[in-house]
Amino acid sequence: MGPGPRQGDGAGPPPPVAVARPVLVALAVLVVVTVVATAIGPADLSLGTVVRVVADHVGLHLPGRVSAIDQAIVWQIRLPRVILGGLVGAMLALGGASYQGVFRNPLADPYLLGVAAGAGLGATIAIVSASRATYLLPIAAFAGGVVAVSLTYLVGVRASGYATSASIILAGVAVAAVFTALQTNIQQQHAADLQPVYSWILGSLSVATWSDVRLIVPYVAVSTVVLLGHRRLLDVLRVGEEEATSLGVDPRRVRLTVVAAATLGTAAAVSVSGLVGFVGIIVPHAVRLTTNASYRVVLPVSLISGASFLILADLGARMLDAPAEIPLGVVTAFIGGPFFIFVLRSRRSRQGTL
Amino acid sequence: MRQADSALELHGLVVSYDGVAALSGIDYALAPGAWLGLIGANGAGKSTLLRALARLVAYQGTVRVTGAEVAHLSRRRLAQLVAFVPQAPELPREMRAIDYVALGRTPYLGYFAVERPADRHAGHELLARLGLAALAERPVGALSGGEVQRLVLARALAQEAPVLLLDEPTSALDLGRRVEALELVDQLRAERGLTVVAAMHDLTLAGQFATEVALLDHGRLARTGTPDAVLTDAELGHYFGASVRVLRDDDGDLVVVPRRQRGGPS
Amino acid sequence: MRTLRVALATAVATVGLALAPSVGGAATHAAWPVTVRAANGAVTITQRPTRIMSLSATATEMLYAIGAGSQVTAVDKYSNYPPGTPRTSLNGYALSVEAVARYRPDLIIVAYDPPSLAAQLATLHIPVIYDPAAPSLAVAYHQYLGLGAATGHLAGARAEVARLRARVAAIVRGAPHVPVGTTYYYELDPTYYSVTSATFMGQLLSLLGLRSIADAGGTHVNGGYPQLTAEFILQANPSIILLADHGCCQATPSSVAARPGWSALSAVAARRIYILPDSIASRWGPRITILLQAVATDLRRAFG
Repeated sequence: MGPGPRQGDGAGPPPPVAVARPVLVALAVLVVVTVVATAIGPADLSLGTVVRVVADHVGLHLPGRVSAIDQAIVWQIRLPRVILGGLVGAMLALGGASYQGVFRNPLADPYLLGVAAGAGLGATIAIVSASRATYLLPIAAFAGGVVAVSLTYLVGVRASGYATSASIILAGVAVAAVFTALQTNIQQQHAADLQPVYSWILGSLSVATWSDVRLIVPYVAVSTVVLLGHRRLLDVLRVGEEEATSLGVDPRRVRLTVVAAATLGTAAAVSVSGLVGFVGIIVPHAVRLTTNASYRVVLPVSLISGASFLILADLGARMLDAPAEIPLGVVTAFIGGPFFIFVLRSRRSRQGTL
Repeated sequence: MRQADSALELHGLVVSYDGVAALSGIDYALAPGAWLGLIGANGAGKSTLLRALARLVAYQGTVRVTGAEVAHLSRRRLAQLVAFVPQAPELPREMRAIDYVALGRTPYLGYFAVERPADRHAGHELLARLGLAALAERPVGALSGGEVQRLVLARALAQEAPVLLLDEPTSALDLGRRVEALELVDQLRAERGLTVVAAMHDLTLAGQFATEVALLDHGRLARTGTPDAVLTDAELGHYFGASVRVLRDDDGDLVVVPRRQRGGPS
Repeated sequence: MRTLRVALATAVATVGLALAPSVGGAATHAAWPVTVRAANGAVTITQRPTRIMSLSATATEMLYAIGAGSQVTAVDKYSNYPPGTPRTSLNGYALSVEAVARYRPDLIIVAYDPPSLAAQLATLHIPVIYDPAAPSLAVAYHQYLGLGAATGHLAGARAEVARLRARVAAIVRGAPHVPVGTTYYYELDPTYYSVTSATFMGQLLSLLGLRSIADAGGTHVNGGYPQLTAEFILQANPSIILLADHGCCQATPSSVAARPGWSALSAVAARRIYILPDSIASRWGPRITILLQAVATDLRRAFG
């Protein structure tokens, strides 16, 4: 086939979807947010103190002495909290964007298929069975989340004979309802433990440590690699399941892989943070509104912006009522609710963002 | 029937939805480079047959594409052999035209891979060939009906499959655009040696473009053969349940026109 | 936001005091019917109750302390003191009126008043006294007197209040003088929920000359029970740490010392971390003196 007669020939194809620019901008924002969140806290430390402590730990010795307590505040309390917030936010936002792609549903997020309800039940059981609850809690929450989503998948496939988006989402609603009911019931039976269960459900990074960071990094890393690997396939799915199939993609296999990866990462994240809501929905939508609908952009930029968003939200949780905490879930929902209305309004005028 | 020479071969093809047969006992063989027009009343099984060929519905029997049994192929391999243009494609409105066409390269990319420069070049050449080069960076949602039609065709061609399945390819277009689109398919068929199977609502266009015609009736192949043999007053009247007349225009092309039934209850 | 909370908390505290039981001085002898004022308003008891149901662990302790124990026929699952109470599986936080009615009580005491529970019980003509968590010792004493009047043990209630007053005063007198500015961090749970000096517990500890680090954010934030940030606790560097989360959550001096960064605290270095019996610490009944004595003993170890 020879070159066609129309213009544009010789110029070659237009450049691929611009990914580098939005990613760099998001990274720059993340760096600024991280620096600010590390510099500010309820403990009123000077910027010089913070810089000295951080420099000290990366092998750079600056003049001046810092007290042991200030050292501990920066390195053992504040920094792990900022980093953990970034990891959890990144995971929730990436998981949300992936779920929205694979279910082609703008309201999908990792909580949709029962991660939240399952993790809530697991955490509640761990808390009320009391002994060593603090060590058991993340493991129980993680297990609960994974069990709930697996059950959703089984029920969804059993109910309809094959796993369509609709049958899985409906199964997720049913499984979440049952798990939430069980959790509420156990909670009511153990009224004395109401407070810790309630705190966990609202989400918090108040007891973040480096060991929490180490605990979830492997899951978040594996999940991130797998989900980012699907960025092109999620674009293929935008033409619908049937056409994607005729293009050589098995939507069920893609869905199963994406759900498995997103669930593992999300369950690990909420196991240390509690049920922080809204991140998985508002961050990807904000990214779509400001950049491009291609998942090659949406996935990496959601990942980075999710980290920035939750670090900022947690800064609010720490500072707005200092020295008291505000539950993190309250802060994210407080921003998330109005933002959601804004998204819906702008969608009405732009029809069909996905 | 010489197996290796057929682009497409069906043996005892049966498709049923919830126990109700939508297609039964279809046998057919299509030579490379042919254009098979599938005709028949609504619900006769035209779309179902196309979807079975693309393995989008479960079926019994055998379907072979260039000699390979479809049931044994991976999705990816099948997509390298058969490209399918649905009747009403789902359009990601915000995707750029060039990226949409590049989706057709999916069967040649690894699971986690993105397009290579060669794939993008192939997509761009197709856009140019279909007169869409200037629109390469436009979002799909901004294109006209005719442009979208060509764009979807370009995506299917990007699959570089020897067999092209078209489901009512021109139903969304106005009259002038219909002929234009089918001319384009016909040119590409000639250029690339494509085998085309198209469900066609417009019998006149079927008569003018198809090299052979298969008339489906209640899930069975009622008549097959050249357009001249199948598109006759008697056959069409019988199977479409209406009075039609088949005419010849000045160039000798087939023209099928419906006729009002006289003498019915007024 | 904080101003609003303070205002709210103040309003709640005021209402709580206003509704605290006030007993007419004439009601020394059991002359039925009796009317007492509780947090749910005036409650009239027509005759001496003999089938009392307590759905409040603290009220149960108070009833036994004033000598009304023999009239108590059913208590909730959390009423584990004194030993031998007629415990049921009832849960004061999730009640069904039918389950309550099954025990045919003639007086019910609750510490938690879900909407419409009292109204529903009223249709059964069972009087309900609502004695929520006392915000101060004074309110706790009022609750004693109210329960005394309602059960025909007003004299016993007065004696018990007098005993408590004397005992508290004795403990405070005998406690070591702590240095000026001695602060404590009181840990309610491992996520750093704490108490301010405005709470019941905070007021008890103030008697010993201690001040809560949580006061820095305003004493009425979150009803006096704020969740503190770890870095704030570290910077505040409290003189002592009191753990009220050993029973629930296994917090110990060594587990606290092992928390990342906490080893820098002077309370950790000086081993001034003390476990409080949390089952007592959450109640405002007769055993507050045990708790107060425990803290006084800890202070002697720390500063004596």
